[in-house]
Amino acid sequence: MGDDEAAPVSAAESLKLIEAQRDAAVRSLRPDPRFIYWPWGLAWLVGFGLLFLRHGPHEQIRVSMPDTLPLATLFALMIIALLVSGVAGARANRQISGDSSVRGLRYGLSWLAGFAGNAVVCAHFSKLLPAPEVGLLWAATSVGLVGVLYLTGSAVWQSRDLFVLGIWLTISNIVGVLAGPGWHSLVISVAGGGGLLVAGFAEWLRWRHHT
Amino acid sequence: MTAPLPELDPVIHAQVRLRVVAALSVLREGDQMAFPRLQELLGLTGGNLSVHLRKLEDAEYIVVTKTHRGRTPTTLLSLSRRGRLAFDEYTAAVRALLDHVGSEETP
Repeated sequence: MGDDEAAPVSAAESLKLIEAQRDAAVRSLRPDPRFIYWPWGLAWLVGFGLLFLRHGPHEQIRVSMPDTLPLATLFALMIIALLVSGVAGARANRQISGDSSVRGLRYGLSWLAGFAGNAVVCAHFSKLLPAPEVGLLWAATSVGLVGVLYLTGSAVWQSRDLFVLGIWLTISNIVGVLAGPGWHSLVISVAGGGGLLVAGFAEWLRWRHHT
Repeated sequence: MTAPLPELDPVIHAQVRLRVVAALSVLREGDQMAFPRLQELLGLTGGNLSVHLRKLEDAEYIVVTKTHRGRTPTTLLSLSRRGRLAFDEYTAAVRALLDHVGSEETP
């Protein structure tokens, strides 16, 4: 390793050392964005894609399959996404304490509180609506909530990417709702799932080429 | 490109301490890193890292907090305000030197 007290021999070497070390620290302390966004993007792309194919506009069945398969697939993929992104986040934050932990905990609890409250409201009104509208109610309020939580997340983490993503998901959701049951699934699959994949890619580029 | 570096902060202008400060500078404001994580990040032995941390602590560039996590004692590290300033100034000085060298080479 040489002499520890050794100074870098030149300014250029000094700067290279700083940049290399900061790069390494960023890659270790911030989770790889691909693990955070892509599992969710894939879950929406496939899950809502199947919903569109099985429960299309005007209850049209484009591809025949068991009627519970799309929802079961969506939930299974979302559980996998929760695990993958959770492990990636926890690995990056291990042995780090302080303000970020508090922020992360409260942000996580915001998701829990939001979805718990939303589920109660949706369950209540589901009894009064025809099946296609029930599906739209759950999907639209959930995607809307995700959009808003990304927007608040962008304020907490000072992330421009997250802000753009939140706006994009909110607009996609509105467009989908106005288009109606069935179409909403298609919009969320392509624009929502696709948006998450693109956001993950954009953040990954920045993460990889940090400094 | 092997210009001598006068007037650079001697506390930071040593390879290991420069790496320590650079790594800690990535932490978010209000966060701390446990000793083993920093050790892993830098690939140093515990003893070696301790020596350099003491020098940085003596200069009040880092904040060292000894605490307990359950029963195991933990040492938490972060850059002090003064340390962050020193790191920023050091980086600026190095960049200025590089610009100076660059402008001498291409008048």
